[in-house]
Amino acid sequence: MGVDYLRRIVKKMGKYIIGRIIQIIITFFIVMSIIFLLFRIIPSDPSSFLLTPSMTAEAKETIRKQFGLDEPIAVQYFIYLKNFIHGNFGTSFYSGRPVMSIIMERMLNSILLITTAVIIAYIIGISIGKAIAWKRGSKTEKFFVILGLWFYTTFTPWLGIMFLWIFSFKLKLFPLGGMITPEKWILDPSLMEKICDMGYHLILPLVTYVLLWFGGYMLLMRNSMLETLKEDYIVTARAKGLKEKVIKNKHAARNAMLPIVTAFAISVSFSIGGAVLIETIFSWPGIGRTIVEATLRQDYPLVQGAFAVITVVVLLANFVADIAYAYLDPRISY
Amino acid sequence: MDTVLEIKNLGMSYDTTEGSVSAVDNVSFRIMSGEAMGLVGESGCGKTSLGMCIMKLLPENAKITNGEIIFDGEDIVPKTEDEMRMIRWKGVSMIFQAAMNALNPVYKVGDQIIEAIMAHDKIKKEEAREKVRDLYKLVGLSPERMENYPHEYSGGMRQRAIIAMALACDPKFIIADEPTTALDVIVQDEIIDEIKNIQKKLNMIMMYISHDISVIAETCDKIGVMYAGNFIEYADTFALFDNPLHPYTKALMSSFPSIEGPKKELKPVPGEPPNLLNPPRGCRFYPRCSYAEEICRKERPEFIESESGHFLACHRVI
Amino acid sequence: MKKIENKKASQIRQIWGLVRKSTFIKLGVSIMILFGIMAVFSPIWIHINPEIYDPIIGVDPNVHGSVGPSLKHPLGTDDIGKDLFSQLLRGSQVAFMLGMMVSVFSTIIGAAIGLIAGYYGKIWDTLLMRLADIILTLPRLPLLIVISGIFGTQSNWIILLILSLTFWPVISRVIRAQTLSLRERPFIESAKVSGVSNTRIIIKHLAPNVLPIAFYYLTVTVTGAILVEAGLSFLGFGDPSNMSWGMMLQWCFVKGYVFKAPYWMIPPGLCISLLAFSFYLIGVGLEEMVNPRLKKR
Repeated sequence: MGVDYLRRIVKKMGKYIIGRIIQIIITFFIVMSIIFLLFRIIPSDPSSFLLTPSMTAEAKETIRKQFGLDEPIAVQYFIYLKNFIHGNFGTSFYSGRPVMSIIMERMLNSILLITTAVIIAYIIGISIGKAIAWKRGSKTEKFFVILGLWFYTTFTPWLGIMFLWIFSFKLKLFPLGGMITPEKWILDPSLMEKICDMGYHLILPLVTYVLLWFGGYMLLMRNSMLETLKEDYIVTARAKGLKEKVIKNKHAARNAMLPIVTAFAISVSFSIGGAVLIETIFSWPGIGRTIVEATLRQDYPLVQGAFAVITVVVLLANFVADIAYAYLDPRISY
Repeated sequence: MDTVLEIKNLGMSYDTTEGSVSAVDNVSFRIMSGEAMGLVGESGCGKTSLGMCIMKLLPENAKITNGEIIFDGEDIVPKTEDEMRMIRWKGVSMIFQAAMNALNPVYKVGDQIIEAIMAHDKIKKEEAREKVRDLYKLVGLSPERMENYPHEYSGGMRQRAIIAMALACDPKFIIADEPTTALDVIVQDEIIDEIKNIQKKLNMIMMYISHDISVIAETCDKIGVMYAGNFIEYADTFALFDNPLHPYTKALMSSFPSIEGPKKELKPVPGEPPNLLNPPRGCRFYPRCSYAEEICRKERPEFIESESGHFLACHRVI
Repeated sequence: MKKIENKKASQIRQIWGLVRKSTFIKLGVSIMILFGIMAVFSPIWIHINPEIYDPIIGVDPNVHGSVGPSLKHPLGTDDIGKDLFSQLLRGSQVAFMLGMMVSVFSTIIGAAIGLIAGYYGKIWDTLLMRLADIILTLPRLPLLIVISGIFGTQSNWIILLILSLTFWPVISRVIRAQTLSLRERPFIESAKVSGVSNTRIIIKHLAPNVLPIAFYYLTVTVTGAILVEAGLSFLGFGDPSNMSWGMMLQWCFVKGYVFKAPYWMIPPGLCISLLAFSFYLIGVGLEEMVNPRLKKR
C-alpha cells in the first residue's frame, strides 16, 4: 500500500520532483567545487590537504595515485569528483582510517540524536503554538512566547553545561557524556540493554536540544495560526456551525501548517549547526563533533568529507520539505 | 402568513483602539414567511454587520448592545455559542461573497459541503454525498466538480457552490451578502435568477444584502434602506420605487442611470457618511440632506409607519 | 513645507507611542542598557589597577589557581589568576561591537543585494539569489568552522567578515521579495516615466519602504551574531588576542573547571544568553508593530 501511494505521488508531481532533483545536484556540485578550490588554492602546497608527513611512503603513493596529485588542476578536479561519487575522501591524518567509514559511523549517531530531538521539539512546539494562538492576548500566551524566546536564544553550550552540572555532576542522575558506557558493552550485553544504555545517554542532550528548539516552532505556528484565523474561510466554518475543535484543527491548523513545513527544512540546517555544540558538550560521537575535532587537528581529508556529507543531508532535507509542501498545498501547480 | 424573523431595536457596536463604533442602531423590521427582503445601503452603512448579528458571527471586539432577534419564535440574542451552533446553517445560513478565500483552499469543495451536512444531520457520508450531488444540479453545477478544489473554480462557479452550501441543511432563512458583487453582469444575471427560483421553490425567507438597488429590486418583495447604521426606510418594493419618501432613498434612486426615458443628469449625493465613533445627536443624514431643517439636527427621527406598510425615519414627512 | 514636517513629526510620535507600549521592547531595551553600562564601565574598572585587571594580560600574583568571588575579584579568578570580572566586562564590549557591526554590515549588504536583485531582475536576480541560496543551504556553524580552518581566525575583523558573509543571504531574500512587490506600484512607474535614474529610484523611493523590515533584521541579526561568535570562540576558533564571553567559557571548559568553578562557568554563558535574548525581544516587539495582521484589532 505504501508503494502504491508513492507511485501516485510520483505520477502527480513527476516533473516537479525531477526539476528539484536537478536543482539540488547543481547546488551540490557548486558547493563541492568551491570546497575543492578553497582547499587546493589557498595553502602553499596543495597536496598538504591529502598528505601529511606522518604517513608512510606507500600510503602517500596510494593517495597520490588515487587523487592524481601530480596532474594539472583541471584533471584533479574530475578525479576528485569521481572519487567523491564513490565516497572516497582519502585517509584521515589522525587515525589513518578511510574518511568515509569514520563519517558513516558518526553520521548515524548524529542522525539518532538530531532526528529524535527535532521530531519531539516539532510536536511540542506546534501543539503549544496552536493552543496559544487560539488564546490570543492571554497571560498564558505571553508566558509561553517569552519562555520559548528565552530558550531559543540561550547559548547552547551553556545550557548543556548547566544541565550536566545540575543533573549529572550534582544529582548524579545522568552520565557525564558520551553515547555509551564502555565498561557495560565489553561484557557483551543483550540488544535491549544496549538500547537502554544509549537511551540513558541520550536523555540529557535530547532535553537540551528540545528546549532550545521548541520555541522556534512554537512561534512560527502561532504566527501562522494568527494569520490563518483572519481568513474568510474561518468565518464560513463558524457560520456552518462546526465545533470549535474542528475549526481549530481541521480548518485553521491545516492551513497554518503549510509554512511550517518549509521551516522544517531550514531548521534541519540549523539543527546540524546546533549539533556541533551539543555533541561537543556531551561528548556525543557525532558528525558535528567530528568536524570540530578534525578542523582543530588539521585533519583535512576528514574535514572535507564531513562537510560534504553534512551538505548532502541538508540538501536532502530541503528536498523532502519542498515535495511535502507541494503535496500538501493543492494550489501549487506542478 | 406568519412572522419568521423579527428584529426589535437592535443595536451593535465595535470596540476599536479609538473607541466604540456604533455600527447598528435601533433597527427594527419583520420578515414574513415566503418573503424576500432586500437590505440596501452604501459601504459601511452597517448592512453586513446586521447580517452577521443575526447569525451572531461577530468578531471578538463586537457586541450586541441591545434589542432582540426573534427567529422562529425565540430570541437568539441571549443564546450561548453552543446553542447558536445548532441554529447555524440548519435554521439560518449565509451566502457569502465568493471571494477567493470564502472556501478553504486545501479541501475539495464537495467535501466542505458534506462537512456542513454531517455537522447537523446524523446521516451516512454516502447519503450526504448524494444530497450534495442533487444540490449541485439544483444550482447548475456539474456534480463531477465536487472533486475539485476552490482555486479550480471560476468566480461564477464558486458562487454557485457557495449557494449550494448554504442550502445544504435545508435552512428556513438565508442571508445573502453581496452574492453577485464579485461577478460580471452576465453571470450576475444568471445567479440572481437562480437565487430567485430557489427561494420560491423551497419557500424560504431571504435577506438579500447589496449596495446595488437594481439587483435588490429584481429579487425582493420588501426593501429596507440603511444609512450609517440606521434603518431609514422600509417598504414594499413597488411602493418604494413608486414613492420613495426619505431624501436619501430619493437620492439613491436618482443616482442610477436608466436605459429608458430621456437622458437625465445623474445626481450623486454630496458629502460623506458620518463618523460612527461619535454619531451625531440628530438625524445621521442631516449634513447631506437637501431638505434638512433645524429639528433634523437636534432630534433623531423615529422609525414609524408613515403609510400602510411603509416605514420611515424622517422629520420632514411626518 | 511645514505640513510635510508636521506629518513626519506626527509619524515619529506615533511610532514612539507604539514603542512605549510594547512590553517586549521595554524589556529588551532594559536588559540591553544593563550590558551597555557594563561595556562602558570596562575601561574604568581596568583603570583601577591595570596590572591585575587587564582582561588579556592582567594577572594577580597573589592568587594560585582559580579562586571564588571576593572583594578584590568580584567574580573570582581563572586558573592562572586573571580576574574574571574584567574579562566579563571586556566581553560585553566585544559582544556589542561584534554583534552590532556584523548586523550593520550584513543588513547593508543584504538590503543592497536584495534591492538590486528585486529591481533589475532577470540575470542579476538569478545569479544573486542562487548565491544567496547556496550560502543559506549550508549550515552556518560547520561552514564557519571549515572556513576558519582554512583561513585561520587571528583577528576579530576576520571573524566579523566571515560572519557577515553568512547573515546577508536571509536579509537579501526578504528584501528582494518586498522589492518585487513594490516595483509594480504606481509611484515607481511614475518615477521611471519621469526619467528618474534607476539608482535614484532605488535609493530614494524603494529603500525607505523596505526600511521597517530591514530594521527588524538589524535587531535579530545581532542575536544571531552574538550566539555564533560565542559558539566559534567556545569551540576554539575565536580571536586569541582579545577576550570574549565565548572564550571565557572555552577556557573554563578546556581547563576542566566547569563543575569546579560555577562562578567562572555561569556568568559568561548567562550574559551571552541574556544579551542575545534582549535583542531578539526588541525584534519581536518591532515585528508586532510593523505587521498589522498580528496585532489585536
